Amino acid sequence: MDTPLIELENVGVAFSAQRRVGSGRFWALEDVSLSLRQGERLGVIGRNGAGKSTLLRVLAGILQPDRGRMRRSTVSCQLLSLAVGFTPYLSGRDNAILSGLMIGLRQRDIVSRLPAIKEFSELGDFFEQPIASYSSGMLMRLGFSVAIQAEPDVLLIDEVLAVGDAEFQEKSGNALRERMRQGHTVVLVSHDETQVTTLCDRLLWIEHGKSIREGSRDEVFAAYHEELHLVGGAT
Amino acid sequence: MPQHVLELILFSTYAELRAERSRSYLGLIWWIAEPAMMMGAFWLVFDVILNTGGPDYLAFLLVGLTLWQWMKSCITHGGYAIWGNLGLVRQVSLPVLVFPVVQMLADTIKFCFIFALLLVILWIGGYPPNITYLALPVLFAVTLLFAAGGSFLVAAIVPLVPDLRFVIEQVLTVLMFLSGVVFALDDVPSPLREAIALNPVATLLEATRGVLMHAQWPNWIALLKVGAISAIVCVAGVALVLHLSPRYPKLAN
Repeated sequence: MDTPLIELENVGVAFSAQRRVGSGRFWALEDVSLSLRQGERLGVIGRNGAGKSTLLRVLAGILQPDRGRMRRSTVSCQLLSLAVGFTPYLSGRDNAILSGLMIGLRQRDIVSRLPAIKEFSELGDFFEQPIASYSSGMLMRLGFSVAIQAEPDVLLIDEVLAVGDAEFQEKSGNALRERMRQGHTVVLVSHDETQVTTLCDRLLWIEHGKSIREGSRDEVFAAYHEELHLVGGAT
Repeated sequence: MPQHVLELILFSTYAELRAERSRSYLGLIWWIAEPAMMMGAFWLVFDVILNTGGPDYLAFLLVGLTLWQWMKSCITHGGYAIWGNLGLVRQVSLPVLVFPVVQMLADTIKFCFIFALLLVILWIGGYPPNITYLALPVLFAVTLLFAAGGSFLVAAIVPLVPDLRFVIEQVLTVLMFLSGVVFALDDVPSPLREAIALNPVATLLEATRGVLMHAQWPNWIALLKVGAISAIVCVAGVALVLHLSPRYPKLAN
């Protein structure tokens, strides 16, 4: 098999509890190991507060591990986030360019995609208006239309598969699934089991900041369900 | 520097200026009106009421305040830039130095407008253009280097200790009065005056006033010293930002 794009070995990330002199630290990630290869679609499952989002931010290069080792080849990893750097007094067009630059696109690329962004976001003439005048639904549509333009080697997705009203939810969900099917390497964090089952071929299960199991989808899911069942039965 | 970071800096600067323009009814007019009002206030207090200055006082004050406002806004705006963008720092992986640089660029562009206006006022007021204007680019480069050094240092620390903002405003006010921005340091008694003259801001102001008002070439040795100090502070500031940058994404603002 080819060498992994990213490999985590017993990685931990600590945060200060609050901004006070002498306040303690807590470990949002304690001990997580994983390896991600080219073209893999890895789903991360676990209950609330398990550290899934923190893990994505480590993979995105936003957070650096406080312990353990991370090896990554020279690949770009991008966390798909909506409305990055949006500024209220700028037009939808200017915000799209600014946001595109922040998620790592070149200016000429984002400019050439502006017509597509305008169309996908269904904003019409509002595209030239300051986004301060947008409804929250319009903002999300613009945010998603820009975010989906990112073209990293590894796409990291945190449960934002669908935004907006029912119609746009379906449209945005389809666009994302399309991107994932194009053979990109993807890491997906989601509570929605059907989504993970249909979109991912491998799973990582983490709990309380520790990786419990990593492997094929069916194998990890079976173990995860068994555990949920046991815990559910005990209470 | 990767080209896309350069594009990000330039477009963010444009966005910053553009957003600022749209935030108020009068927009661009405030770039000029705000410093003009402040200069008017200082002129009223120190010239009309206290009768501090001599015949040159208005020009002295205008040059001092124009330059000081540029330095001060670079240090405060640039200095608070990382802290103000922590939300973004938590979301995307970006070189955080971008934020102070963008603020300083925007403030420098605004300074250019105000400086152009200042030149017109000086010419009308009897201080014509002269050959020593050739020294201005050097003076401005050193001024910007000094401001950038302060800005990076503040920018590095404020995200960790936001309380510092309250102190910095006061320190800058004291520095302004000790730098001969609003009154000439000749009036300060002797031992104190020499100490104050070591202050880089005082050197820069004196040199700029010499050029604009008296057609006097700057004291190059003094300027070189200020430049060297500024460069050292600048490098230290950048190093500190880079050293602390892994901690910023974990902070709340």
